[in-house]
Amino acid sequence: MRGFEPIAWIFQALTGIAMVFLITAHFLTTHANHEMLSYENAVSRLGSFEYKVFYFFLLLFVTFHAFNGLRAIILDTDGGMRRKKVVNAVISVIALVAFFYGAFLLSRF
Amino acid sequence: MRLLIRRFDEKSYWQSFEVPVKRGMTVLDALFYVRENLDPTLAFRASCRMGICGSCAVKINGKPRLACETQISKFKKEIKVEPIDNFKVIRDLVTEFEGFFAKHKKVKPYLIAEADYENPVEWLQTPKELSRYYVFSLCIKCGACASVCPASATLNGYLGPAALVSAYRFNEDSRDNGKEERLKIVSDSVGVWRCHSAMECSEVCPKQIEPAKAIQLLRRSLLR
Repeated sequence: MRGFEPIAWIFQALTGIAMVFLITAHFLTTHANHEMLSYENAVSRLGSFEYKVFYFFLLLFVTFHAFNGLRAIILDTDGGMRRKKVVNAVISVIALVAFFYGAFLLSRF
Repeated sequence: MRLLIRRFDEKSYWQSFEVPVKRGMTVLDALFYVRENLDPTLAFRASCRMGICGSCAVKINGKPRLACETQISKFKKEIKVEPIDNFKVIRDLVTEFEGFFAKHKKVKPYLIAEADYENPVEWLQTPKELSRYYVFSLCIKCGACASVCPASATLNGYLGPAALVSAYRFNEDSRDNGKEERLKIVSDSVGVWRCHSAMECSEVCPKQIEPAKAIQLLRRSLLR
């Protein structure tokens, strides 16, 4: 493998496939009945170790997929490709901040 | 038959011509009829008239095709002819191909091998070895694939489907030793990773080469 691009491409595909299953599971969990979305149920669900692990991976995959997708869209333009290093750095920083903030919120339950 | 041509001479405009239809007549014949009988200033490219040079690729009723291989009888009342997209228009239907060929040149589209020109010998190849790349060697560099590629539309530097097809064609040739050099070139940030698999290139290729497949196969080589 050569550089970051092939890794980014393969992980974009893998996280996409993983998200199909994880988001389906998320919807089934939260929309099985109206009670599942109540505050008490949401807090108790997020308090359990299994759901924390589940949402941690969902957060990880969604963050990577979304920000790598955004990076690809920007690099598809002449202006974006000219500033490739800046684009990569800025997107990486925003993605990391978003991920750690999400993980922090998850840890609070 | 009404022939609507998108012309360009400093500014772009549509011009309509009435062309008499004969059996077996192609869009290229109609363009020649217009130039010889109605408007000698009409500019378009053509050479072989038999679908092997790729010069006459134009957009016909919204789809890039070879004018010499498109029968007029395919259409009912009107034919709209425009220059292909994603290329700078020089005049009327003539577009700038310099960048397209420069990208093609970048991927080293020739055999890279040690050869003794003093004592030349035949480079033997089995039919099985030939079949690995044969279909991709049929590319006529007409530019139809690049004209519909969304990545080529937004990023000038992107190598594009035609150049990547050439890279794959030579990489799979059993007589070639330049695979690593080419893989390095196509794995660059303006290479195969910019393709988003819209597959339009395969849809419009007049030689049914499937450039999108060549790009996927190049990716597979790079991921190994």
